[in-house]
Amino acid sequence: MGNTKETRTFDAIVIGSGISGGWAAKEFTEKGLKTLVLERGRDVQHLKDYPTTNKYPWEFEHRGDITADVKEANPVVSRCYAFREDAMHFFVKDTEHPYVQDKPFDWIRGYQVGGKSLLWARQTQRWSDFDFEGPARDGFAVDWPIRYKDIAPWYSHVEKFAGISGNKDGLPNLPDGEFLPPLELSCVENYFKDFVSKNYKDRNVIYARCAHLTEPQPIHLEQGRGQCQKRNLCQRGCPFGGYFSSNSSTLPWAQRTGNLTMRPHSVVHSIIYDEQKGKATGVRVVDTQSKEMIEYYANVIFVNAAAVNTNIILLNSTSHRFPNGLGNDSGVLGKYFAFHNYRGHISAEYDGFKDSTTDGRTPTSAYLPRFRNVVKQETDFLRGYAAGFSSGRGKNMHTEGFGKTLKENLFNPETTGWYVGSHMMGETIPKESNKLTLDASKKDEWGIPLLHLDIAYDDNDEKMLKDFFEQMTEMYTKAGFTNIKTGDSKQAPGLDIHEMGGVRMGNDPKTSMLNKWNQLHACKNVFVTDGACMTSTSTQNPSLTYMALTARAVDYAVTQLKKNEL
Amino acid sequence: MPLNRRTVLKQFLYMSAGMALLPACLQHHAKSSMLLKHIAIDGDQEKTLAELSETIIPATTTPGAKDVSAHLFVLTMVDDCFTKADRDRWQAGFAAFEKMSNDLNGKNYLSSTPQQREALLTKLETVKDEKDDAAWFYQATKRLTIRCYTSSKFYLTKVQVYELVPSRYKGCVPYKPAARKVA
Ligand SMILES: Cc1cc2nc3c(=O)[nH]c(=O)nc-3n(C[C@H](O)[C@H](O)[C@H](O)COP(=O)(O)OP(=O)(O)OC[C@H]3O[C@@H](n4cnc5c(N)ncnc54)[C@H](O)[C@@H]3O)c2cc1C
Repeated sequence: MGNTKETRTFDAIVIGSGISGGWAAKEFTEKGLKTLVLERGRDVQHLKDYPTTNKYPWEFEHRGDITADVKEANPVVSRCYAFREDAMHFFVKDTEHPYVQDKPFDWIRGYQVGGKSLLWARQTQRWSDFDFEGPARDGFAVDWPIRYKDIAPWYSHVEKFAGISGNKDGLPNLPDGEFLPPLELSCVENYFKDFVSKNYKDRNVIYARCAHLTEPQPIHLEQGRGQCQKRNLCQRGCPFGGYFSSNSSTLPWAQRTGNLTMRPHSVVHSIIYDEQKGKATGVRVVDTQSKEMIEYYANVIFVNAAAVNTNIILLNSTSHRFPNGLGNDSGVLGKYFAFHNYRGHISAEYDGFKDSTTDGRTPTSAYLPRFRNVVKQETDFLRGYAAGFSSGRGKNMHTEGFGKTLKENLFNPETTGWYVGSHMMGETIPKESNKLTLDASKKDEWGIPLLHLDIAYDDNDEKMLKDFFEQMTEMYTKAGFTNIKTGDSKQAPGLDIHEMGGVRMGNDPKTSMLNKWNQLHACKNVFVTDGACMTSTSTQNPSLTYMALTARAVDYAVTQLKKNEL
Repeated sequence: MPLNRRTVLKQFLYMSAGMALLPACLQHHAKSSMLLKHIAIDGDQEKTLAELSETIIPATTTPGAKDVSAHLFVLTMVDDCFTKADRDRWQAGFAAFEKMSNDLNGKNYLSSTPQQREALLTKLETVKDEKDDAAWFYQATKRLTIRCYTSSKFYLTKVQVYELVPSRYKGCVPYKPAARKVA
């Protein structure tokens, strides 16, 4: 490949190769567009680049622990539960890309081909109109420019390809999808499920839908993926392709079309805006190895760098026409940033089912969809929370003493009774004051202004946390669980890793950045379909929605390109 | 809270200074078989740890702590994963442990008989004072020894079998208590 302007020109450019960028790449290349994917991190090839995937516990020098030096040098990423010896190579270390926390914000990142799709917990729940209508009903943010019917076919489209295991639960607040068979729930999970539906008319405990191939279909085998083997070592990369990641699914698929050019080590610095043409013509990239700045060109640009980096790229794309960041006529770019409140957790014991246990491992759990304020406002706080619910029996080792007695005890650990636990996933309200800005003078290694994050919980979050404790404690108590313990992790925003907003969708260009097609109101050939586009957060794990929005937006963009409208 | 380059640099200097100091501490003794970054351990201390771990989990008809190199795991974990405060306390506790051995048995741990070693550990097991460095050292070392043993290849293939690829999940199966295993 030479280095002429021509060889640096494509039909489409996708910034980022994670969950959303992978989908953009797949959809564009399948539709015949020559597509360049720019990825700031290194290449990670499915199977080949999963160095720890087949390791046994004893093969890890520190048995999974992170060393004190690494923790001390990287306090933020060290707080992520999945940052362990087996997967730490897929996380960005704090020192590798500093940012300024005007208020504490744990920014957890994966910079590599595949992004965080290698690391995610694979929970995939659809939104319903109770979620899309939230801002309009409750008077916050702006109205979503779409409703469930707009995205439903696209949920189906991505679910079929990614492979989502689930149960048809028939709940209006958590629509069913295209499901592969569910795995089993445990006896205690089934007990709690029955208990809750008998005792609470609007509450349900269901099998948590997840991106695992419980029964691969031809479309999955064609991707080279096989059945989930219940290893629960997903964060290492799966040798069976049992869960959905860009690396195992969308990217190799895009590669096979012959239309994909993947360029790792390429930090997108900014988007080039052509004042005459009135649209974007390409991007400026800093090659992380040569530190050289190179320009690439295309008719359409998809920004999928994950919510925070997408905001940075747009804020840094200034021009005469857009002095405050690309498409930022409204002044809302970087504002109304939100996340999920994951602070609350609760655990307990259950004295029943002593004659039963589980066998093997499950990659998912049970799930309580949001039950607060669903149909109408009923509490002193807005919106609500979903919760996970999991259970199991543990092994208890008696470790007192030494010598033969101790050894005998180690050989014969005692099986405990059942434990149960839940964690909260609360909706937070996007506010103008929760914002991202760029430093006026300090720059990062690639010449991009340093990011400032100014994000905090509010009173609504505190009230909701309290309600989570009260309601869960009540349900747990009534269900006969004992030794109930609640805990507030007090974790900073960000550690939920569901950061959203800053480039929100809306009907009105005066108060939003993107229209109903995820297209910048003011620069029609630039689309944002990652978490940055989210007008509100609801309570569902968000990535499935990013996938569906991305596929939908690519479909629209390609139609517009054909009509010469971009 | 961007990590300031200077802190990182300082840490790096601290580490390399630690390494530079290491040989000096070892002049009178055989070297530890491991290259340690932070703590200073000589060959005798390494042997002492091996014997201590073996008293904690002795070889019987099945392997003991020494067979799974538990003492080397203890050193790796203390050196790499303990905070500086805990590393320091562990080292001070090691010295206190030896002193306790001398006080009780008139000799250090390595030269003690199996009965003398057991007498010392029996005494340490009863210490409730959280400020006692020798007991803290002993409990920390014991915890790591147990962790190493119960995550060793031997234990996870022969005692409690770890399945890398279970290929199944059953949510509700009859619970049958396992037959008692002879250690
Ligand atoms: C431990 C963990 C558990 C999670 N669990 C779940 C879950 O259960 N369910 C769920 O829905 N979500 C979950 N998430 C969140 C999920 O991973 C993200 O929502 C998802 O990956 C976002 O997709 P994305 O494409 O926006 O970003 P990413 O997947 O992060 O991909 C963004 C890519 O863009 C690249 N990039 C960034 N900046 C630039 C630039 N300037 N130039 C070029 N490239 C750039 C990055 O290197 C990266 O590869 C979890 C995340 C983690 C870490």
